[in-house]
Amino acid sequence: MTSGLKDVVQAEWEDVVEAIEKCYELGWTDGLPVVPPTTERVQQFLDYADRPANEVLGAVPERRREITVDKVAANAVMAGCLPEYFPVVLAATEAMLDPVFNLIGPSSSLGGAGILAVINGPVIRELDINCRNNLFGPGNRANSTIGRSIRLILMNACASVPGLFDRSILGHPGKFSYCIAENETETHWNPLHVERGFPRGTSAVTVFACEGPRQVRAASKPEAILTCVADVASSLGTSMANTGSVGDTSAILRQGQIAMVVAGTSDVWDGWSKEDVRQYLQPRVRRPVADLKRVEVIEGDVEPEDEERFIPLVPSADDILVVFGGGQEGPTAALIPSWGAKVSSTAVTKAIRPPAG
Amino acid sequence: MHDGIHLEKVGIPSATICTDPFKVTARAMASMWGAPEYPTIFTSHPVGGLPREAIRSRAEELLDEVVAVLTGVEASHLTPTP
Repeated sequence: MTSGLKDVVQAEWEDVVEAIEKCYELGWTDGLPVVPPTTERVQQFLDYADRPANEVLGAVPERRREITVDKVAANAVMAGCLPEYFPVVLAATEAMLDPVFNLIGPSSSLGGAGILAVINGPVIRELDINCRNNLFGPGNRANSTIGRSIRLILMNACASVPGLFDRSILGHPGKFSYCIAENETETHWNPLHVERGFPRGTSAVTVFACEGPRQVRAASKPEAILTCVADVASSLGTSMANTGSVGDTSAILRQGQIAMVVAGTSDVWDGWSKEDVRQYLQPRVRRPVADLKRVEVIEGDVEPEDEERFIPLVPSADDILVVFGGGQEGPTAALIPSWGAKVSSTAVTKAIRPPAG
Repeated sequence: MHDGIHLEKVGIPSATICTDPFKVTARAMASMWGAPEYPTIFTSHPVGGLPREAIRSRAEELLDEVVAVLTGVEASHLTPTP
């Protein structure tokens, strides 16, 4: 058996266990065993998506890497995907290679970003992608392997090898796999991709370079839930509440985007749109100058008026990604801060092309 | 690293300053671009976000090294990108 790629290592294997061990030797894994990317299996993925093997999806020019469809296929195979998942992985890759995502940043930084993928549209039902209980947890093949593909593509195709070009200080578990779907059928809210300009009835994936999800438990009123989420999002110590790489000399702090995943039942949010949620949250995600001075984010002595001078941590309401998903047993949310400043990496949504035929 | 190497390759002298945690990455990037011996100046992390005075004193610390690199590198040391 051989690998399906023409411009990288080819290997011969006697049996499956040896093949898996060979993949370790070649440095192709994330530490967990991979499915050996045989020529035949990679071809199945290419055939399913009906995309030429050498089609270039984008590049990481700083590392002299061109990302072709066959490289993505090999990594999706290794992650354990089914061929049916491959169009989703392709769209996620195209999204990561969009210039505003600035892949070189989140894939190399000390900040240790995970790349969250949020899937929307009919593909959720077609591929049985989990959008309910244990949303960020294990147990669903599509979520686990699509998310894992993203990391393997970063490591193998984009050279984000830990310790080499991936300089994460801590990283987080989402760097293994970080893929969710929105529960579109049990909410009155517009799906994320529709809000971001894609037609209803189409499928899309949104990628967001971010920290891990922080669970937020709250009472059952929207204002109480959002007050808790705003409090968590306003924590000291996030990337957003820091200086450096602000990209705009008029801004004191980095600021960044946030994602909020809303669990519980939809009726809690009767009378509220996602836009209402964003408008309520954005001005409340902030920190007084006094606190920022106390932790040396801002230089200088704390003046009395600093207690009442607030700096927003999210630039605009549009920089809050609201997703409905998770279990419905009680109002709970997840707050996910961005890895870096918005100018360093901005969330990107790309359409998932339906398979051939 | 990327920018410095490319400026040198088009004949513009450059001095690249990199923070300590990125030493391994800097060497890997230089090798990737066919310039494994590309001289790099290292300083403590971070540089981004430092207040003006701290940046100034950091620049003063590194000045001699920067001058040495700018006046000592010959573009012929850099192999062309294949």
